[in-house]
Amino acid sequence: MKRTVPLMIVMVGGILMIIQYFIPHQISQTIFEYYTDWAPIIVAFALVLGVGSLTRIHSHKIKRRAQNWPYSWAVLIPLYTMPFLAHIWPQSLGGGMDQPSIYHFLFMHIQVPIQATMFSMLAFYIASAAFRAFRAKSALATVLLIAAVIVMLGQVPIGDLLGKWLPSTGLWILRYPNLAAKRAIMLGVGFGMLATNLKIIFGVERNWLGGAGK
Amino acid sequence: MYETLGIWAGAFFTLAIYSFLYKENPIYRLAEHLVVGISAGYGMAVTYEITLKPRLIEPLLSGDHWVLIIPGILGILYITRFIPGIAWLSRYPIAFYMGTSMGVAFPLTMKASVLRQLEGAMVPLFQEGMPWYTSLGNVVMILGTLAALIYFFFSKPHKGLFFGTGSKIGIWIIMLGFGATFGFTVMGRISLLIGRVQYLLGDWLHLIE
Amino acid sequence: MSAVSIWEKMLNIDRRWIFLSIGVVSIVPFFINFGMPVVTTDEVEGIFDYMDELGPENAIFVSFDFAPGTQAENMPMAIGVIRHALHNNVPVFMTANYPLHHGMMLAAMEYILNPNTIGYYQDVPFDEWSDLRESGIVARDDLEEAWEGQGNQLPEGALGWAFEGRDYAMLGYAPVFNLVILGMTSSIQTQYPVDTHGNPTSEMPMLQEHKNLREVDMALSCSGSAACVWWVTYAREKIGLPIAFGVTAVMATDYFPYIQTGQVIGQMGGLRGAAEYEVLLAENGITPSTDKAFTGMDVQSAAHILIILFIIMGNIAYFAGGFHKQKTLKGRG
Repeated sequence: MKRTVPLMIVMVGGILMIIQYFIPHQISQTIFEYYTDWAPIIVAFALVLGVGSLTRIHSHKIKRRAQNWPYSWAVLIPLYTMPFLAHIWPQSLGGGMDQPSIYHFLFMHIQVPIQATMFSMLAFYIASAAFRAFRAKSALATVLLIAAVIVMLGQVPIGDLLGKWLPSTGLWILRYPNLAAKRAIMLGVGFGMLATNLKIIFGVERNWLGGAGK
Repeated sequence: MYETLGIWAGAFFTLAIYSFLYKENPIYRLAEHLVVGISAGYGMAVTYEITLKPRLIEPLLSGDHWVLIIPGILGILYITRFIPGIAWLSRYPIAFYMGTSMGVAFPLTMKASVLRQLEGAMVPLFQEGMPWYTSLGNVVMILGTLAALIYFFFSKPHKGLFFGTGSKIGIWIIMLGFGATFGFTVMGRISLLIGRVQYLLGDWLHLIE
Repeated sequence: MSAVSIWEKMLNIDRRWIFLSIGVVSIVPFFINFGMPVVTTDEVEGIFDYMDELGPENAIFVSFDFAPGTQAENMPMAIGVIRHALHNNVPVFMTANYPLHHGMMLAAMEYILNPNTIGYYQDVPFDEWSDLRESGIVARDDLEEAWEGQGNQLPEGALGWAFEGRDYAMLGYAPVFNLVILGMTSSIQTQYPVDTHGNPTSEMPMLQEHKNLREVDMALSCSGSAACVWWVTYAREKIGLPIAFGVTAVMATDYFPYIQTGQVIGQMGGLRGAAEYEVLLAENGITPSTDKAFTGMDVQSAAHILIILFIIMGNIAYFAGGFHKQKTLKGRG
């Protein structure tokens, strides 16, 4: 029950859905439609797992008075306040500045600026890395840097002003050698994914079972 | 008033995050933790309102779609992960999702990532009227794909004419590709900073259009 | 006491000076406004030309598959294509593959429908034109004529009306989005019984005319993750739906194989891609002017020059200082 039945569900489900792809019969389509209708509903509950884990981690931090424990309140308070506020003002889920709400405010004017700014910090770090770490220590590294410089200049308007050859060469690098490298990677990843899919379906790969209940 | 307050709050938290570039400080930490809580809370609210309520709860309560009790029960089994004695029950919905999604993905991934890519790699090396740079590019593309695949094949030592020379050519092609990726990565990171500067100078301080 | 060479001093510079220089270079060009032209590429023109051929009898999907972190690149792409669609009266279905991305969809429409935006569209919510819908007036031209016949005037500065349920539908987030795409190949309404505002999708004329993805003409995935690949795998390969990509620059180089095979009709890569689309929209009179992406390209030029200078200076200092012969580099981190 604990291991065999889940493994059987994976195998039967996997083989069924592979075969379903090749069978246009109405029964096959009905199975497909039920599956695509039910799967999002089932997986929506997985969010509860994530919220539960987050709550557990931060409530333990608060209980144990761990380092930086007061900040855990900054996680837990909005975590439970947001759905509560959305329930009171459901129209705010539809957005619209004509229906301002605390829920909309927290997302649009706190969440969005913070997350956007966190990602934008990478610009500073890449500038620092450009000065301190990007070294042409070998012929290969030199080729990488030259290709990068050509593409960087070709992608900005100043590249067109410096010379038409720059954007043209940059585009040629993107459309041919870059494409070749990425295609090889894509094929490798594609084969790897197919192999992993089969390993999971046939029970060779069992890490997804985890340790729950052994 | 609401919008002005919102923009000032956004600007405050933007500068709070940027303050980390000088030194870590409590305001940065507060912002860092807030974003985790708000995003998880937002996710909960949206998932309930947009998915669970209209696709499970309301149809069940209407009395017409009793078959939806099956995905409902399977979904609830996820929560047993928190109950030590019956945590193994959470494997059932995971197994259902894993098996079926692997099965559904298999033929489509084969088509999208493998067959179509192999088809796309079969291009003419030369055709009448084809510009020289396109012809050169096609040669580079075909040989480069093969060489890069040889480079990534680690089951044989990279020696000899086929594996040795092939993998050497392959790594050069890969370096060109990664150079292009690096150039684009720099562009991407700067773009994100540009977006924030536009917000601060335009939406907040009204110094630019 | 050994002399610290100028090269070593240079390499050990406090990184906060580097941060400051990037900050300055990102701010100053906004005030100088070089206005350097942006030349369009085949990859972006592919999307524009395809969109330009579409009309009221067609429909497209715009999938918001990006988080607030990458909105600077992806948002202008989505906004550009949606404005193109609204101009041509092409119905737009909007989806999101993650809860936070749902918020990005709302932010995009807030911008397009906001009277303070140059070249905005006047929103007509679903309930407000219910009487016309109930009397069977659902064809686009007839609807606009009847709506204006009721005494509604297009405000000054608005480029046109945007009827919810006829011109656009904000379907929003649904979990396991790859399976949602698969499900929509059979029925959109099963995956989205209601839209973001709680309007029943079965009552929307655009959904009555385009019941599943087979009856849709294009899907644009504005993505900051690999979600765009789901559209190719689950929609393009299953039913042949034309797909367009609007991806961040970091990912753009990875998807050239899809462009070459024809699996995607075109790609907007990064801020440059968004700027190219804005240029095409402005040149063809679809929008009154370019927008934020184009304005940012001057700053992009300056920042790229600075980064290249940093790379060159760093390498000169490294090799001139003889550090390539040393095992470790002295100095603070």
